[in-house]
Amino acid sequence: VAKTSLTSPPWPEVKLPDPVEEAKYHAEVVQKVTKMIATGQYGRLFAVVHFASKQWKITSEDLIMMDNVLEAECGDRIRMEKVLLVGADDFTLIGRPLLGKDLVRVEATVIEKTESWPKINMRFWKRHNYQRKKIITNPQTVLRINTIEIFPCLS
Amino acid sequence: MVLLSAPRWLRSRLTDRFWRVQEVLKYARHFRGRKNRCYKLAVRSVRRAFVKSTKARREKKRFLRALWITRIEAASLEHGLKYPAFISNLLKSQVELNRKMIADLAIYEPKTFKSLAALAQRRRQEGFLAALGDGKEPAGIFSRIVHHY
Repeated sequence: VAKTSLTSPPWPEVKLPDPVEEAKYHAEVVQKVTKMIATGQYGRLFAVVHFASKQWKITSEDLIMMDNVLEAECGDRIRMEKVLLVGADDFTLIGRPLLGKDLVRVEATVIEKTESWPKINMRFWKRHNYQRKKIITNPQTVLRINTIEIFPCLS
Repeated sequence: MVLLSAPRWLRSRLTDRFWRVQEVLKYARHFRGRKNRCYKLAVRSVRRAFVKSTKARREKKRFLRALWITRIEAASLEHGLKYPAFISNLLKSQVELNRKMIADLAIYEPKTFKSLAALAQRRRQEGFLAALGDGKEPAGIFSRIVHHY
């Protein structure tokens, strides 16, 4: 039968690779990455951490400032548990959505607890003799990320 | 004897008018024209500046999100994916990075962004295959593709 414009569907045909071969390839990659982590062949690690309802991209010796109060004294060490992504130069570990606690360890220290610069909140309606001025200082906390460590327990 | 009411020669006069005026003018020093010097004009300008900054703080969030989305769109087009396809497939693969993070990764970690784009593309193809099913037409329906037997 001759090929017309309606013989095949207008979208491009999609073929997935063979599942058996793919499983082999995946196992190989996982083994390689575990070996790399075990031997320590990575340079600087970066991590994406969910903390204080925000996501931060952090490395070691990083400073982070949050716009809220943390119930920890200055100098306390903190372990951040919700890690979404960890990466080095040659490999990245993407969590779905989080990575396991036995895989990554992110440590931070509380350095400073201050207030923000005085922000001015002003409301004004013209011709109505209405103006209100309020000075707001938010409490802030500064953390220093000490280390990010990964352990070779992938599967 | 104790005087219960103040005598008439004692007057209450404003002595720190200079500092009250400076409090307002200090916020107007970098303005253009006479409103950085003259109090009457400066009061109005400073008031408008404060109100605009309050409103801008709420709009900054919208503006930054639009910026992140533009950047993610540009980066994903470099890898052959459009923004809605990229974001929806990432969410379907349970990767919960927000747009700020993905934009930062696209700028500073191009290899990681490439792997995320590949993940989204693969999930997209799996979705297409799941939607198409077997590729056969449903039984008993006369479709456009007429078979010649």
